[in-house]
Amino acid sequence: MSSVNNPYMPYPVRIANIVVDSPDKSLRTFKFEFLDPEDEKRFEYLPGQFAELSIPGEGEIPIGIASSPTEKGYVLFTVNRVGQVSSFLHNMKIGDIMGVRGPLGHPYPVHSLKGQNIVVIASGFAVTTLRATVAWLLHPDNRPNYGRITFVYGARSPGHLLFREDWEAWQKRDDIDVYVAIYKMVPGWTGKVGFVPAVLQEICPPAENTAAIICGPPIAIKTTQPVLFEAGYKPENIIMSLENRMKCGLGICGRCNVGPEYVCKDGPVFTLAQLNELPPEY
Amino acid sequence: MPEYLVKESSLASFFQALTQGRRLLAPQGQGDNCHLEVSTGPVSLDYANTHLSPKAVFFPQTEKLLAFHKLADKPKPHQYQDLGDKAEPTVIFGIRPCDAKGLSISNKVFQNDRFTDPYWKGKYEKTLKIGLACLSPSPQCFCAAMGGSPFGEVGLDVLAYPKDKGLGLRTLSPAGEELIESTSAEKADLASEIQDLAKKAIEAQGPLDAYQAIDASKLMDLYQAKHWANTAEPCLGCGVCTFFCPTCHCFDLQDEANDLGGVRMRNWDTCMSQLFTAHGSGHNPRPSKVERVRQRFMHKLKYIPIKQDGVRGCTGCGRCVVMCPANIDIRSVAATMAQASA
Amino acid sequence: MGNLETITQKIREKAKSLLESGQAEVVIGYRAGTIPLVAAPFFARSAADCDQLVWSSFARLNLANYLPNRTEKVALVAKGCDARSAVGQVVENQFPKENLYLLGVPCSGLVDPAQVAAKEPRPIQRATESDDAITISGQGFSVDIKKAEVLRRNCRTCAHRTPTVANELTGPEAPAAKPDDFEDLKTLLAKTPAERLNHFKDLIKDCLRCYACRNACPLCYCPVCFVDETRPQWLGKSTDPMDTMTFHLLRGLHCAGRCTACGACETACPVNIKVREFNRVLDKTVQENWAYEPGLAWEQKPPLTVFQPNDPADFIK
Repeated sequence: MSSVNNPYMPYPVRIANIVVDSPDKSLRTFKFEFLDPEDEKRFEYLPGQFAELSIPGEGEIPIGIASSPTEKGYVLFTVNRVGQVSSFLHNMKIGDIMGVRGPLGHPYPVHSLKGQNIVVIASGFAVTTLRATVAWLLHPDNRPNYGRITFVYGARSPGHLLFREDWEAWQKRDDIDVYVAIYKMVPGWTGKVGFVPAVLQEICPPAENTAAIICGPPIAIKTTQPVLFEAGYKPENIIMSLENRMKCGLGICGRCNVGPEYVCKDGPVFTLAQLNELPPEY
Repeated sequence: MPEYLVKESSLASFFQALTQGRRLLAPQGQGDNCHLEVSTGPVSLDYANTHLSPKAVFFPQTEKLLAFHKLADKPKPHQYQDLGDKAEPTVIFGIRPCDAKGLSISNKVFQNDRFTDPYWKGKYEKTLKIGLACLSPSPQCFCAAMGGSPFGEVGLDVLAYPKDKGLGLRTLSPAGEELIESTSAEKADLASEIQDLAKKAIEAQGPLDAYQAIDASKLMDLYQAKHWANTAEPCLGCGVCTFFCPTCHCFDLQDEANDLGGVRMRNWDTCMSQLFTAHGSGHNPRPSKVERVRQRFMHKLKYIPIKQDGVRGCTGCGRCVVMCPANIDIRSVAATMAQASA
Repeated sequence: MGNLETITQKIREKAKSLLESGQAEVVIGYRAGTIPLVAAPFFARSAADCDQLVWSSFARLNLANYLPNRTEKVALVAKGCDARSAVGQVVENQFPKENLYLLGVPCSGLVDPAQVAAKEPRPIQRATESDDAITISGQGFSVDIKKAEVLRRNCRTCAHRTPTVANELTGPEAPAAKPDDFEDLKTLLAKTPAERLNHFKDLIKDCLRCYACRNACPLCYCPVCFVDETRPQWLGKSTDPMDTMTFHLLRGLHCAGRCTACGACETACPVNIKVREFNRVLDKTVQENWAYEPGLAWEQKPPLTVFQPNDPADFIK
């Protein structure tokens, strides 16, 4: 049975590149190439989806996809070293063979947001799927379908800011407003300084015909919401992505549920309006 | 679907016909020693229900899904290969209607709106299920109160009941019809008898559907009700309820490997365990037994009904009622939920 | 009024006065179960709650299990083994002595439902009891069974039915039992090590690894049990017989010299494994080597947790 029919079967991939992303080396971005080019076609995804990184003999971890489907030939994942599997992965080398299982979950609703302005708000290393989202939105096939696009991104220090090449390139464009901040001033930094909610408050685009996509640690999400409310955003237009402990990614094994919804299968993307009706078990 | 009769004198040949080209599983033993086992028939009908639910036939407690090797000189090292569903054509005789309904509920999880679990599907679809109706339900039974019936037909291919030392049968699916046609069973009109027996068996269980207030209540009202800390206080967190429940289907994926290779397997897991939901960071969305006990009852009585057209995730088999060491009785909890939300 | 009713009355009265005086914020005892032959753990915090408290020979859990991590002042309805386990919790720093009031129950032994079912396999709808016998009834039958015939195995060999350490007793001391001679272990201990291993393999062949034995045990209070630990993962999570045996052996060893033979593990086990056999062999070893029985005094520490110069083992010197 091929992986087409068995959602537990990972696609075999080769580690094509590894980038150490943070000064404490807790973050690494892995670039994978599919061993079978046909698998890349089967792995059809949109920004906001995730996959299980699957290491034979070690286990799996669910990680948001940091690449955009408009980038061909590879997929990107940024992995924080926290547990057994992620620690093992951090010690793997370029050329090693492992698996990627997915894509899983629902993407950000980029198709239904056509015609709207979008403000993308990222805190810390949760920027990954938002980096994918901006890359996708800026692709020539997609950019004409959207109004004003704003990207707000904050991290602890310049060294903790991921995907520097990308956002530096975006800063030079005139079809996106980019605000990158660090939480505390360091010598040599010329960008904004402050936590994401404070930066957002300063530059928040008007709520009219605008959707906000937020991703970050719970505290950042919590403190960002009042800023959006103040600017007139409604819960229906605030889009978030949840993280819960997951195993199967298929809505079966049972541990990631928030009320009747499985974060893996029915999420991880929810609007704030949806979450307001659900138990806060995330 | 039509009804059939198996006379006492043709029981042996009936069961023999069932085993043609398949294995027959049937309950054997009594009380805590009653288990589904391979049988050649005739099957004794003198049992209340199997000690464990029949879910392990479709969802074994430990099941190897994938395997890999690390041998560089062989093809595809470090790449998982599918071990397949290992289903063999099977007929289960004597599954109780509560358990068949339970399996049908899990079936909608394993084959959900987006994904199909091939390991479950292979076994579920290669197994014909002949139910045995309950003429006199056990003291701990409450299938009718949960919207089922001692003569329930959900999830079954055939429903059987003891009749004149033989069997009465009603076929419920084309596959069930084909199976019974291949035996010595004779066509008979048993519709009114089945109706009468079912009515009597339901009446013997006591009050019907005492829990409707739960269906009508808002999810968050049930969730935020004040009784959960008291409800959960005696819980030992052992998860016996989940191991015995015919609709509990949670599992853990685990890799085991040595220097040559390894496997990916799944093992039954339980939402009563603190580690079930613990994040790598240490954060836990269900940190105490209050949240975990609430999760189990909300899942059975609210979340599953929301996802499955009002069908409750408890089928009233009564196993958790009997097995819970702390006597947390889902009938009392459901009544408390109904009352708190009324 | 029989002895059981007297104890029940005394528990209710005392529970009310302890709550009223503030000496206790919760009384942990038993209420009548929702099914026959079962008494359920119950947490009384008001006078009305107290009227639900009962004593019965179906009170098979060990309520000391509910002490760790509790911040309230607790009055514990405690039979001999529960009281000893509560003392153990205090000795092992799991619960402050000043927050504990032991309402001791002289126990005459508890009924084993499996032995009842062996005598009467028909479905039981109702069970009542007098001091000496239980009456079980179901569709078309009612049967009296002498309690002495269906007592749990651990109750039959219990030498400490009346709590030796308690703030107060709820009734006259239970008749003294003869000291436990571990007679029941004779056959097992006469076997060769290989035969013994087979005995234990057979004993746990039905184990589901649900860990109900561990969760029901007042000794098992570790925040994360070694079987659940993932970094490092000490043992596999499947039903592999070696992993299952490792769990039982290690749990047995962790409990050595601390077990009060309460039998809660066997009560909780859903597949009727005589889990206590692991502990019982170790109980005997500890008693013989250190003349120690746990939970009989506030000052005594389990011998395997302390060092003494007169330790009988050579390797430690």
